[in-house]
Amino acid sequence: MQNILSWTVFLPAIGAVLCLVAPKRHARTIAFVATLATLILSLTLFPTFWNGSEPEGAKAVFGSNYGMLHHVERATWIEMPGKLTIDYFLGIDGLGFPLFILTTLISFLACWASWNFDHWTINKGPRAYFFLFLLLETGMLGVFVSLDFFLFYIFWEVMLLPMYFLIGVWGGPRKEYAAIKFFLFTLAGSVLMLVALVAMYFYSGTAIADAGGSVPSAYRVAEKTVLTHGTFDLIELATNPVIQEYFARATTLFLGLKFAPLMFIFLFIGFAIKLPSVPVHTWLPDAHVEAPTPISMILAGVLLKMGGYGFLRLCYPIFPTGGEVWAFSLAVIAVVSILYGALCAMAQSDFKKLVAYSSVSHMGYVLLGIAVMTQAGFQGAMFQMIAHGISSPMCFFLVGVIYDRAHHREINRFGGLWLTMPKYGTMATIGFFASLGLPGLCGFIGEVWVLLGTFHAGKTFPWAYPMAILAAAGVILTAGYILWLIRRVYLGRERHEYAEYPDASARETFILVPMAVLCIALGILPMQTVFNYTNGTLDLMLSHVQKATQVHQTAIDDHRDGEPPGEPRLGSSASQNRGLVRTP
Amino acid sequence: MNAWANIPIAEHLFLFSPMIALTATMLAVVATPLIAGRSTRAVAGVASIGIVVAFILAIRVARAVAQGGVSGFSPQPAAGMLLVDNLSAGFQVVLIVFLAAVTYLWWIGSAARERNAPEFFILLLGSALGMALMTSSANLLMIVIAIETASLPSYAIVGFDKRDRLGAEASLKYMIFGAVCAAIMLYGASLLYGLVGSLAVTDVAQYAVLQLADGDNLLLTSAALLCFLCGIAFKISAVPFHFWCPDAFEGAKIEVTTWLSVVSKAAGLILLTRIVLIFSSAVDSPLAISIVQPLAWTIAIMAAITCTYGNFAAYQQTSVKRLLAYSSIAHAGYMLMAAAVFIHPAATGHSAGLSAMLVYVVIYLFMNLGAFGVTALVSWDAGTDSIDAFTGLARRAPWLAVPMIICLMSLVGMPPLAGFLGKWWILIALGNLDTTLGWFLVITAVFNTLFSLYYYVRIVVQMSLRDDGRPQPSVSFGGLALVNICAVALLALFIFAQPLKSAADRFSTKLNPLSATLDHPRTALLPPADR
Repeated sequence: MQNILSWTVFLPAIGAVLCLVAPKRHARTIAFVATLATLILSLTLFPTFWNGSEPEGAKAVFGSNYGMLHHVERATWIEMPGKLTIDYFLGIDGLGFPLFILTTLISFLACWASWNFDHWTINKGPRAYFFLFLLLETGMLGVFVSLDFFLFYIFWEVMLLPMYFLIGVWGGPRKEYAAIKFFLFTLAGSVLMLVALVAMYFYSGTAIADAGGSVPSAYRVAEKTVLTHGTFDLIELATNPVIQEYFARATTLFLGLKFAPLMFIFLFIGFAIKLPSVPVHTWLPDAHVEAPTPISMILAGVLLKMGGYGFLRLCYPIFPTGGEVWAFSLAVIAVVSILYGALCAMAQSDFKKLVAYSSVSHMGYVLLGIAVMTQAGFQGAMFQMIAHGISSPMCFFLVGVIYDRAHHREINRFGGLWLTMPKYGTMATIGFFASLGLPGLCGFIGEVWVLLGTFHAGKTFPWAYPMAILAAAGVILTAGYILWLIRRVYLGRERHEYAEYPDASARETFILVPMAVLCIALGILPMQTVFNYTNGTLDLMLSHVQKATQVHQTAIDDHRDGEPPGEPRLGSSASQNRGLVRTP
Repeated sequence: MNAWANIPIAEHLFLFSPMIALTATMLAVVATPLIAGRSTRAVAGVASIGIVVAFILAIRVARAVAQGGVSGFSPQPAAGMLLVDNLSAGFQVVLIVFLAAVTYLWWIGSAARERNAPEFFILLLGSALGMALMTSSANLLMIVIAIETASLPSYAIVGFDKRDRLGAEASLKYMIFGAVCAAIMLYGASLLYGLVGSLAVTDVAQYAVLQLADGDNLLLTSAALLCFLCGIAFKISAVPFHFWCPDAFEGAKIEVTTWLSVVSKAAGLILLTRIVLIFSSAVDSPLAISIVQPLAWTIAIMAAITCTYGNFAAYQQTSVKRLLAYSSIAHAGYMLMAAAVFIHPAATGHSAGLSAMLVYVVIYLFMNLGAFGVTALVSWDAGTDSIDAFTGLARRAPWLAVPMIICLMSLVGMPPLAGFLGKWWILIALGNLDTTLGWFLVITAVFNTLFSLYYYVRIVVQMSLRDDGRPQPSVSFGGLALVNICAVALLALFIFAQPLKSAADRFSTKLNPLSATLDHPRTALLPPADR
């Protein structure tokens, strides 16, 4: 199908417009159909990745630095001839693909979770709700596939306003506060990103001017593209040797400070707020607690992943030296997030807040895995994002199910729910154990990979050993608060006030089952469900990062299941190339 | 050629035809009551026809100038007195479009109650004429006259309803402040004339650069220049010449506030731009770089302070009109940043900054018109422009609330709305400098975006998150159409960004030769005794 990415990204937006003109009671149906169609459309991307993200013959494109891009769409959007070009540039690779699917899946499930909208405490304006919901989905999908920095930034910002209203209008008692806090925090991050956006454009322009004013594109070789001015092309910024060399040079200064580490931090702050990591995580518990259940699912399932995605797409490939400079600081932030998040979670008596803080803790592993810049670390971080993207929406939905019945979330007032609601109790156990990181479930793989990666990093970064030990201690804390939670809520004697509660309805079960199945599938078949699609791209990217920074030169081969990175793998099938592969 | 016996030829008359049309409309508005009595309809009808004619003429002039079909500037003897180029012709189109929009707003809001329509239109058209003149001159005397032509009717129109105490107070404040600024400016102009012996800005620029280089009359020249710039800063409402702005905006009728908020500032900015351009093209030698840099920094710091002050002062406001007044100060700051680009010697092509400013003016026009339009409709219905009047608007009148949200978010600069692109092009122009000054302003601008979010969101919160069960407002269809068109335009200008940017690029190049080069001899502008 032509332009499949554009169709997938903008299908929800079309649905959103339909929601506005449809009669009130049909808004949810339209949203349901739109999200389901988007999910199906996104699943058609699977065959592309069937043989891994870097299938034989299509491997190692851009000077072996970056993954293969599929379904590329490129059109000039805004142009000042000879000065500036902004492209509408979409493409998908092993980095964006799993998150793209995750987004369509979680959006669909969250939309289904909104089906009982009419029974909510605040059930005004269903059309507006589903309109904003679908608009949000378009923004999220756009972020994962846009490869032009300007376009990326636009999609990134497009999400803000719908999210603000979804929390602010349909949220809980402190919704106003939570919504504006979310808005201000995220915008604070994105203004720094905007500075980086402008600066990277002009500095890449300077690099090209220094190199004589025209530099051949690093990856659009077949088209013989020549760069004459700065670029917003994320792939070009990451792979073009001229730009990379100029960015990394110690004499390249921005307001008197070294360019690469500074820009790395500008971008990092924006993504860390989204991730969120301590100390900029405080918007998250508020937003989560006040947001309605489906919006919490989206927040936890997708929005947080944009932080991790941003690190992997922007920070590390474009400023690898920045990653090297800040590795220790980031690892400290990550470990603090893991431990502090877990301790906070342990102290909560509000069910939803507990799950919210557990997100801070879990996303800390993502940051740690990325910060140490090892192969297992990168892979584990990616896996952890996907795993958390499934387990945590499930946990939020589980909280929502019981909140719908009890209208409170006090953990200590619950008890014996498994006896009252056996189906629900079983699902809850799967969900929370997945979140805990029980072997055989999805949470385990990511955490172990990250810990392994951190240990491996010890060869270069001596501080990585204690970090790994501390992060491993986080696993114990996680087990602590989750087991305690399960005991207080689901186990124990049946309480009479909850005895009448109906078990999970058919709709609720149907929403929970896919997530439960995925929790188990990811835990048992990590290769087939995630790693095969992501590792090719991640390894190429990592080898580029390591080459540029001279860290872990030997550590990379430990977990390798293919050829060493950096070796161009030749031979190609024209159908998969789409003109991107350098022909041997 | 005898300088004093120049008879304008048809081509020159054509070039100034929009201004002539405005003047003719003023006279027609005076004459109408003599024929048709003081009928509001007749007067407004005549004025509207005049505005439409002026618009058509302005479009034709702009097209002719852009295509280079005319010589592009005024007859030599009057060189610099009045000039026409892409910049002034383009601005006139924007000005007259906005004039039409304000007339429309008046028509749907105040026309029914208006008893002094002829006076209102004379003042409105008079200030429009003054603003058009402001952008079409490079002569000190003419600039002073243009600013006064724009200001005097503005003072009167702010206090137009003489029974309104607030309006009278605002008008008085505005007038006193304006009179002081005008006096300072005139003083500066007379000092410059005494020093240079010419009123042409080009000559002043040349003289000033020489003075700054060898420093004979350095202090006096700088002081005189600063005095002169005061008058322009007053029009832009740059800090510390902004004090009139919130009071005048709050006291005036909302149509008038809308009118003053956009074009009055834009005209001042374009005038400043023209002067700055003339100065920066007078500075070519490497020596001069050290001279211009402080001036660039002055404008940059003024812009940064204006922007930050406007945003922070807006926090506490409960009157939406007043809040938007402070917001307009902040936006003047953003636009002023673009002016700092020109004078900086690192700017190889001035057109980036100028074109960014033009894009910003056009986009700002739409978002302010939309925001003020909604405020007008709400306050006409509720009888107050307090923020409480907006409570629950999303439920009561979604067709008012949604365009308001779009306009406010565009004022913040959130994509996918055009307000983001306005800021974006300014950031690009600043980044293009690749100097400390440029990046300093980039960082100031983006953080101001963040600061501004909070107070704009306050209105959004009041509209969509709170509700006290007020009844639905009764709003005219015409008003709804206006604000919704603005909102749609903001979306469309974002998605189809190219045409506006290309047009702005076109209108910011090929400026009048007067301002582009200085190698022509001093024009025979004055009698020999004065040289």
